[in-house]
Amino acid sequence: MKSLVIAGVNLRRMVRQPINVFFVFVFPMLLILVLGATFGGAFTPVIGVVDRGSGPLGDELVTTLAASEDLDVERFETQEALRTAVERGTVQGGMIVPPEYSTSLRSGAEARIRYLVRPDQLGQQLRTAVESAVGEQAVTLRAAAFASVETDVPFDEALDRARDVAGEVDPIAVEVRTAGEAVLPEDLGRFETGASSQLLLFIFLTSMTGSVALIETRRLGVARRMLSTPTAGRTVVVGEMAGRFGTALVQGVFIMVGSMLLFGVSWGDPVAAVMLLLLFCLVGAGAGMLVGAALATEQQAVSVGLLLGLGLAAIGGSMVPLEVFSDTMRAVAHVTPHAWALDGYAELVRHGGGIGDILPQLGVLAAYAAILLSLATWRLRHAITG
Amino acid sequence: MRAALLLAGKDLRQRLRDRSAILIAIVVPLALAYIFNLILSGVTGGSTTFEYAVADRDGGPVAATFTTRILPAIEDQGVAEIRAVPSVERARGLAASGDVAAAFVIPEGFSRAVQTAGPATIQVIGNVDTPIGTEVARAIAEAFVADLEGVRVAVATVLHGGGDPTRAPQLAAAAGEQPSPVRVEDVSAQSRELDPDTFYAAGMAVFFLFFTVQFGVSSLLDERKDGTLARLLAAPISRTAILGGKLITSFLLGVVSMAVLIGGTTLLMGASWGNPAGVALLVAAGVLAAMGVMALIATVARNAEQAGQWQSIIAVVLGLLGGTFFPVSQAGGFIASLSLATPHAWFLRGLADLGGGGISDVLPAVGAMLVFAAVLGGAALLRLRRMTQL
Repeated sequence: MKSLVIAGVNLRRMVRQPINVFFVFVFPMLLILVLGATFGGAFTPVIGVVDRGSGPLGDELVTTLAASEDLDVERFETQEALRTAVERGTVQGGMIVPPEYSTSLRSGAEARIRYLVRPDQLGQQLRTAVESAVGEQAVTLRAAAFASVETDVPFDEALDRARDVAGEVDPIAVEVRTAGEAVLPEDLGRFETGASSQLLLFIFLTSMTGSVALIETRRLGVARRMLSTPTAGRTVVVGEMAGRFGTALVQGVFIMVGSMLLFGVSWGDPVAAVMLLLLFCLVGAGAGMLVGAALATEQQAVSVGLLLGLGLAAIGGSMVPLEVFSDTMRAVAHVTPHAWALDGYAELVRHGGGIGDILPQLGVLAAYAAILLSLATWRLRHAITG
Repeated sequence: MRAALLLAGKDLRQRLRDRSAILIAIVVPLALAYIFNLILSGVTGGSTTFEYAVADRDGGPVAATFTTRILPAIEDQGVAEIRAVPSVERARGLAASGDVAAAFVIPEGFSRAVQTAGPATIQVIGNVDTPIGTEVARAIAEAFVADLEGVRVAVATVLHGGGDPTRAPQLAAAAGEQPSPVRVEDVSAQSRELDPDTFYAAGMAVFFLFFTVQFGVSSLLDERKDGTLARLLAAPISRTAILGGKLITSFLLGVVSMAVLIGGTTLLMGASWGNPAGVALLVAAGVLAAMGVMALIATVARNAEQAGQWQSIIAVVLGLLGGTFFPVSQAGGFIASLSLATPHAWFLRGLADLGGGGISDVLPAVGAMLVFAAVLGGAALLRLRRMTQL
């Protein structure tokens, strides 16, 4: 079939050029690797601590902090060194315990703990950890200060008593449960939600930059020559489309399998996941073809391709979870195919759904694909034959 | 010199006529910086508002403290929007359907259990699609519980030491009034870090800079292909003037595009780049470094097309490792050190240092970028001279 031959030629041309091999295969895995190293579940945030001369109470505070499994503690000698480390990002936050910590508290005066965190999610986690460790110690400190005043005993004695009592008092618990079908998995790491976002980002980005090849085909006159043979315009268009689709599909499967094998990412029900991938690849192919048919030069295609590829991904929730979008932004996000595909994958991974549960998302993606492909076909035929 | 300027002028006019230069140098980075800023800075700034429901089945004084003092205070801070619901089923339903990010449930007997030092539980029902909102709700509940436990332990300590049990309620009230002896102060704002607005603006600007400066040197390769280079060399113009003209083109394009981006992001996005003199130094060094990298690739490639491809690949890899999209320094160890091999990382670091200090603080970053420019650019110049030898 001629369309398949055209598609095959496209794929061979693609693989022969280093930039395409890079963008399709190397770059996604590189990015997933870097993202995994930076944000992945295995990463424990590190908090730096300066606590010179803070006394036994200071040591106790740092020990409480260090006891948490969610973070690691690194000691620093000076505040300047700690501050620089936080700014450079070598640690994600810092806590400064003043030298007079123990002595102030013992004499009933107030003590001040300072902390600094990076302005990102890990920093927020550390802020919570610091406040919680301080809060834990504050329970016995408050009790000791109160008792020492009320019953007129020295602070240290009151503190010992408070510690004994704290062990005996029944705790008040906070019980967290999840509504809905699935249990909130304890380790639903960033990897799962991250992997589907990256998948969609890359397929779309590659389809966008793949439009360059289509412009090249037009510019070199290959398209015109194909038409001079007894080949219908429609065959050429379908062949080009199949070429884009094939590239996107190969890349998508590569990323899915790669992340599954290398990082243990789960994609949910396999049939549904592949169906979602197929439709999104069609959408990407359509968009790429439309850009390739509409623009005139390769440089324009690179610029517009990067803009649309990255911009739509950001708006569609492929860079930051849709959960934190405001209602208006979430509505805007659903103008992009990315948001619908992400909803689909969330349903498969977090709710353990199957194909029946994602029919709406599949329908919307199919509609996007149909519209984009029709527009692209019309424009390309116009560009080749016109 | 005049010849070099004439050549540069011709190149610049050509580039301006070709809209793709304006696209990649100004439009695309500005648009992306704006989009990223819109989407991402709101998140990292922690300004999301979560919707929560609260079902108070207890109605006692302790529960009332939670619903009438703690939760409204959180609402005032803008962290959450709270709605009270009459039953646990309603709360669970709202959480299950996702209408709220999480629901607080205070079971019957809560206040009495707290006041009589018995075991007590407060529930947070979250939705699996809102893990962040559920975590924040958990933190709110835990802070409240910690406070309650503080009072309990205080009262118990007094009683343990021989206090009068009948005075327990008064003791509880007094203990509740007592402030925490430890104050926790957030001093993050004083650190030398780029705020999210500036980070995305700077990241996109330096990322696309590497695409912008390609035009200068690549045009030399194009001229060789088109045959106009031979004619230039045959004319009574020195090789230095021809090379100079190309370099001036790259430099001007780079500097002008950065200037427009800096101005644009400052006006449109509230990015604050810092002291103008420091920024100018960083920009100049950055443009030179970018020219060095891109020129070397162009001279190593076999033709203009291959040069363009490899330049794009290197620009993307360096941008990624240099932390223009997200802070790679967190990756720790190897990757963090690797990022320092990119001019991008030094540019961003220089800006951060400028923000927290003065002009002298950018000198290390400027120095590093100039080293890139000198070493790579020097190698490229040597090859270029050989290339223009017919």
